[in-house]
Amino acid sequence: MATVDSRVPGSGDATARGSVFDSPGYHRARTAVLGALAIIAVAVLLAWPMITDYYSYNAAYYNGLVASAAISAILTISLNLSMGYGGMLSMMHSGLQLAGGYATGYLVVELSGSWLLGIVASVLVGTVVAMLVLLVSLRATYLYFGMITLAANLIVIEIGREWDPVTGGIVGISGISPKLGDEVMSKQAFYYVVLACLALMYVLQRNLVRSGVGRAAMAVRESSDTASAMGISPSRAKLLLFGICGGMAGLSGALYALQLGFINPDVGLLDNGIIFFVGLFLGGISTLIGPIIGVGFIALLVELIKDQARYTTLVLGLLLLIAMMVIPQGIVGTWRSSRMGRDKLPELKEGPLPDEVPDVVPEVRGVPEGTAALEGSGIVKHFGGVHALDGVDIRVMPGTVHGIIGPNGSGKSTLVSCLTRYHRIDAGQVKIFGTEAPATAHGVARGGVTRVFQVPHLFERVSVLDNVLTGMRMQESYSWLGAVLRSPAYRRQDRKERQEARELLAFAGLAGRADWLASSLSHGQKRLLEVVRAVASRPKVLILDEPATGLTSEELDALGRLCRVLRERGLAVVLIEHDVDFVMGLCDELTVLESGKVIERGTPEKVRNSAAVLEAYLGRPDLVEETS
Amino acid sequence: MSPEAIIDGLFAGSVYALVALALTIVFRPTRIMNFAQGEAVILGAAVAYQIVALEKLGWAVTLGVTLVLAAFMGLLMERMIMLPVRLSGSRYAWIIATLAAALIFQSLFNLKYFDVDALRPEPVIEGGFQLVGIAVEWQEALTILVALAVMGGYDLFLHRSAYGRAIRATAHSSDTSVLMGIPVQRIIGLSFVIGAVITAIAGMLAAPVIFVAPAAGLLFTIKGFTAAVIGGVGSPRGALAGGMIVGLLDTVVRSMVGGSVGNFAVFAALAVILVVFPSGLFGKPMEAH
Repeated sequence: MATVDSRVPGSGDATARGSVFDSPGYHRARTAVLGALAIIAVAVLLAWPMITDYYSYNAAYYNGLVASAAISAILTISLNLSMGYGGMLSMMHSGLQLAGGYATGYLVVELSGSWLLGIVASVLVGTVVAMLVLLVSLRATYLYFGMITLAANLIVIEIGREWDPVTGGIVGISGISPKLGDEVMSKQAFYYVVLACLALMYVLQRNLVRSGVGRAAMAVRESSDTASAMGISPSRAKLLLFGICGGMAGLSGALYALQLGFINPDVGLLDNGIIFFVGLFLGGISTLIGPIIGVGFIALLVELIKDQARYTTLVLGLLLLIAMMVIPQGIVGTWRSSRMGRDKLPELKEGPLPDEVPDVVPEVRGVPEGTAALEGSGIVKHFGGVHALDGVDIRVMPGTVHGIIGPNGSGKSTLVSCLTRYHRIDAGQVKIFGTEAPATAHGVARGGVTRVFQVPHLFERVSVLDNVLTGMRMQESYSWLGAVLRSPAYRRQDRKERQEARELLAFAGLAGRADWLASSLSHGQKRLLEVVRAVASRPKVLILDEPATGLTSEELDALGRLCRVLRERGLAVVLIEHDVDFVMGLCDELTVLESGKVIERGTPEKVRNSAAVLEAYLGRPDLVEETS
Repeated sequence: MSPEAIIDGLFAGSVYALVALALTIVFRPTRIMNFAQGEAVILGAAVAYQIVALEKLGWAVTLGVTLVLAAFMGLLMERMIMLPVRLSGSRYAWIIATLAAALIFQSLFNLKYFDVDALRPEPVIEGGFQLVGIAVEWQEALTILVALAVMGGYDLFLHRSAYGRAIRATAHSSDTSVLMGIPVQRIIGLSFVIGAVITAIAGMLAAPVIFVAPAAGLLFTIKGFTAAVIGGVGSPRGALAGGMIVGLLDTVVRSMVGGSVGNFAVFAALAVILVVFPSGLFGKPMEAH
């Protein structure tokens, strides 16, 4: 899963090609060195208490240092999931940590419960608080979401200061310690608890991001409209991801309280929270390992300047600004896009397109005679005083290609948006295979109607293959827990999906580019990929809004071929198009719009000879002759 | 609740309104909500404290020094924020850059005034007067008047001068404005300077009356932001209305219930308003955010 902004794979500059950094040997060596470094890092972390015990009189201090950094890393991973992968600017992470800390503190100290129970309670509290905040701010756009989270953060702190019986007021709760039976667990043992939690959270992040759950969240991050067209409910995707983030933040709060033995309202202050932002951006946002590297780096730095502790904030602030300018993608992102760090992409092999239609292409059979696949009747849509649609009727039969044409501004795209519930209609009815269409855009997509937008809506920062996989989200039946635990059902579905996605890409002639970033494709390839992604969602009705704009003649042929295959499979294809030759050659039926009204419908021949259509496109010939 | 609470509210409100105005001024051409804006409040308060309370040099010197330092701070902020934003290209760059700038300024103030609880100089005019039976401090009246004058002046500047038109054009589309020959870079720089100067004046006038701690910049930013959101980000008049609402809500709740419940009320109001009216009470939707 490559989600780093500006990596343009195989950008093909002649100097880089054939350099030592592109040789297979270098890539093998790099993998080996990085692998060895990772193993050494893990080994050092595991042996850390022994090392400090051997070399230092102050072992507990150095163990605490690493444990605290690991706790910060857990929170930063949570922040990375919500900001980097979910696109949700959260300023309440320090508040979530505080809330989690209170839960553990109260349970352990006031109710003398077990610390394990405290951790569970903290995770629950974090999840609930995060989900509540997200629920009330579902309608907010991302800046306002950030502000609501900031307000929520302040409210959590205020509650902490005022609710004395539970939170201990300004003083907070102290004497929180993990107990095994009657004995307090040694710091050294707790060090391994923290380390295990960090490892678990890293795996959780990785498995989540690489599964359909993560792809859905990233789709919503890029564009909630496009995600809806894939049948993904943006609200549910956000709620799930932010809930998980809240749980992780709660966990880090529990560990914080147990490690340091106290919790007070100052923990929640944004001034303390800044360190997580710095860690995230320094390490690399939207990368898996970035948060851990970033936090580790900062912990080291803070330790090095601890004699000048009052300059810490100043140094961190300056470091953050400099890092943004010099390595805007963070340490990991910059490494990945450098010549030394980038992945090698397979050479392009341009072969003939396969003739065999892959099985993934859906098939629609057994529809009762006379039932329209998609039917709109009496659709009215006003924008202020403008009658964009004024009582439009349209019937799209399965197994046909249905064209919608009309001059600019005649309401074609509005009609599509109304049929797919992106716009609320003022009057009229939409039916899918004879039943009333669901009320939401993602509901319509789940009902089998998938649309491709007029302007490309690709997920640019992920690979071509991941774009197609995102389209398959509706077929995935595993839960997020299944994805995180990599259950057998998840593995089976994931393998099948990847296989099918590659077959589809091969059929469309994009096989060689499957691992490219979507942003590196040409315009025509992007349009084709969008159609492929839509087909991957197994629609019964596919709506294409001006797909042919800007395509070369070969790309037009490929598109026409795809449309014919879909028609043979019994799908209904709706085509909005300006290219008259393309439309006339492909469509079985046409609907002509003019000023929000249907002026003609029928076969291409009928439309071609219609006086009303000629008038709409060319003006009235009789008037033209009179004036000239 | 005493009637004085209302005057206190209007006074605090005019400070928040000025911060809200400054946030708006910077936001319009840059689409950046400047988290470092509140630091200029501290700058104004710190200069007043240093010159009036410590050096005993009087308010005229304070005003001059504040204007110069605030203008410099605005220029500095522009570099500190816009440069990383341009070079980084990440969609969150603005928030990280402004937060970093805020923390840098905050730690500088903390280093200089680490042993000072509140930056509190003597007021410009001592004492107060009675207005229909309500005691009003001269400093409060002065601040409210200055706020109104700044608001009105900026509104005129925006709508009557060529520069104001250029600023409004840049707010709509900076790309088109460049094509029309408007020096967008200079307008952005100017916006930061004007914003910092207005905020610093607010801080300078507020310091004798309200509690301004060296590290309180972020709090002023957030209250100013709340005011801007209530008024709808973009209009000076909205900023004024929003500031007054926030100030009254804060002080009235504080005087009726007491303690830090005032803050709580303001933040809760912000959350409720954003939930019910996602684009502010009087505002147009803020597109692209």
